[in-house]
Amino acid sequence: MRYYVQRVALAILLLLAVSMLTFGALNILGDPLFNILGPVAGDVNNPDSIKMIALAKKEFSLDRSLPVRYFIWLSDFVRGDFGVTFSSTGQPPVSGVVSERLPRTISLVFLAQMFAVVVSIPWAIIAAARAGKISDRISTINAFFLVAMPNFAIAVILKFVFSLKLGWTPITYVADDPLRSRLFQLLLPALTIGLPVAAVYQRLLRSDLITTLQQDFILLARTKGLSKTRILFVHALRPSLFSFITVVGLNTGALIGGSIVAETVFRIPGIGSTLVESIFRNDFPVVLAIVMIVASGFVVINLLVDFAYTLIDPRVRR
Amino acid sequence: MSATSVTSAPEDIIVSKKLGFGFWLCVTWVGLMAFIAIFASALPLKSPTANFLDSARGRPPYAPSWSHWFGTDKDARDVFSRSMYGARISLTVGFAAITAGFLIGGTLGVISGYYKGWIDRISSFGFIVLLSFPSLVLAILLTSLIDRNLLTVSMVLGLLSIAPVGRLARAATLQYADREFVLAARQIGATNRRIIIKEILPNVAIPMSSLALLGMAVAVVAEGGLAFLGFSVQKGITWGGLIQLGSDASKTLQDAPWIAFFPILMLFLTVLSLNFAGDRLRTFFDVKETTL
Repeated sequence: MRYYVQRVALAILLLLAVSMLTFGALNILGDPLFNILGPVAGDVNNPDSIKMIALAKKEFSLDRSLPVRYFIWLSDFVRGDFGVTFSSTGQPPVSGVVSERLPRTISLVFLAQMFAVVVSIPWAIIAAARAGKISDRISTINAFFLVAMPNFAIAVILKFVFSLKLGWTPITYVADDPLRSRLFQLLLPALTIGLPVAAVYQRLLRSDLITTLQQDFILLARTKGLSKTRILFVHALRPSLFSFITVVGLNTGALIGGSIVAETVFRIPGIGSTLVESIFRNDFPVVLAIVMIVASGFVVINLLVDFAYTLIDPRVRR
Repeated sequence: MSATSVTSAPEDIIVSKKLGFGFWLCVTWVGLMAFIAIFASALPLKSPTANFLDSARGRPPYAPSWSHWFGTDKDARDVFSRSMYGARISLTVGFAAITAGFLIGGTLGVISGYYKGWIDRISSFGFIVLLSFPSLVLAILLTSLIDRNLLTVSMVLGLLSIAPVGRLARAATLQYADREFVLAARQIGATNRRIIIKEILPNVAIPMSSLALLGMAVAVVAEGGLAFLGFSVQKGITWGGLIQLGSDASKTLQDAPWIAFFPILMLFLTVLSLNFAGDRLRTFFDVKETTL
């Protein structure tokens, strides 16, 4: 129990540190007033501008000190009020933008993760069973090639081959399409993110499986006359999954990074592409909200992975 | 196939203690790229910014030909020489970032692993905070707020590599901090500083250095990703930027795939070489950690 409390406390501390860092970076390195008003912010001789500056300062609490602003923002943020977008009318509210676009990113990341896990486990088992043979060498070389391929390059290649040359998949994502065609539209983006990750998982699980297969209980299972498939899938797989599960959890960060790229290339209005657009539009509240949501999600997932780990291996809880 | 192969397999794949032909091939490729990056302006390359309009061939982009090996982009600029010049920023940023990461992260890691206590707690917490951001998100956030030039982009990517490098250095130091030869050195009155430099560092540095190539591969990919999204060095040619230019409009990618695909090839071969050479070095020195 004490272990869980400690882990949760650490996660909350981490979230606070992350939020301070993000808020501080955007407020100190960036100029929030300029982001709201544009060039008017620097025009301090014109009485109209001065009036606008004073108004904006009041509306966005910019006349307060940085720590005060941080606490105002934080208490709003945890209650789900992410402020308004800076651009023009301040509509829609940031929370609206996020709640509209976050599900797309989550489903994309989830699809990619599913693909990577589903592909990598049998791939690793087959490779480990034939370790050192020619088919294993070929699969290792393939994995190396995939890992060395940056996801933006994979995105460009997939788009070129399947959308443009073969015409099998649509080029863009249409938000109003029925669920089935939207899932189909997420296929290439999910492959973009999932392919290199699958190769990473495969390499890890393969080497863990090879270590497991050298142990005595496998020899016992073999002398009992169990089938090779049963030994591989039932006896060897489970004890080899420890570091696999950790890496699957930790890799969520890489998947989120991948989804920024995939959403940009395949024009999916998720939070990854919104982050990039908002930065170019200097839309500070949207950037802040998205970075915070993504980082919080990442911290929570890591926490869950730690907890899942204790279920598999209770020694960790000590 | 009999069940024997299940257990007999691992003996077949005992890794040879030689670096092998593949390693040297990869090192050669990286060396060649580094040479081109450094001496690009002295080599007989076409100008990367000149427009080679050819009225006989109509409107650019021109497909690869004898005069333009990798073809030209839609401003009739030579893709081959741009790909060569692209190595400059990509490799410089990759190299500078991983160097900074190793200097700062390595120092922090060794110090916190050796002294333990509150120094260790603070720096370890700092590492976890940095690792709480998905790395591309943090990189985008920071590069969007600064004036993007060679130095600042390298610094941002260097900052990102501090935490993973630091954690590895700390773990490696912890293995040695209480070993007999360290205690012996302390018994005969060696200062902490001397112990760290003379006793700990040589043991930690060799396995760590084998991870440098893998780290550089990560940094080169990260720079490529930033450039692709428009967050890398503002002026100048980078592989990521070239790929973005060739793939931004679907029509460009469809009609003139060479604009994007040759830079992809260069980037791919370079990252593959760094990864492969790094992986060989890692098995050569028998380093277990792969979290970089």
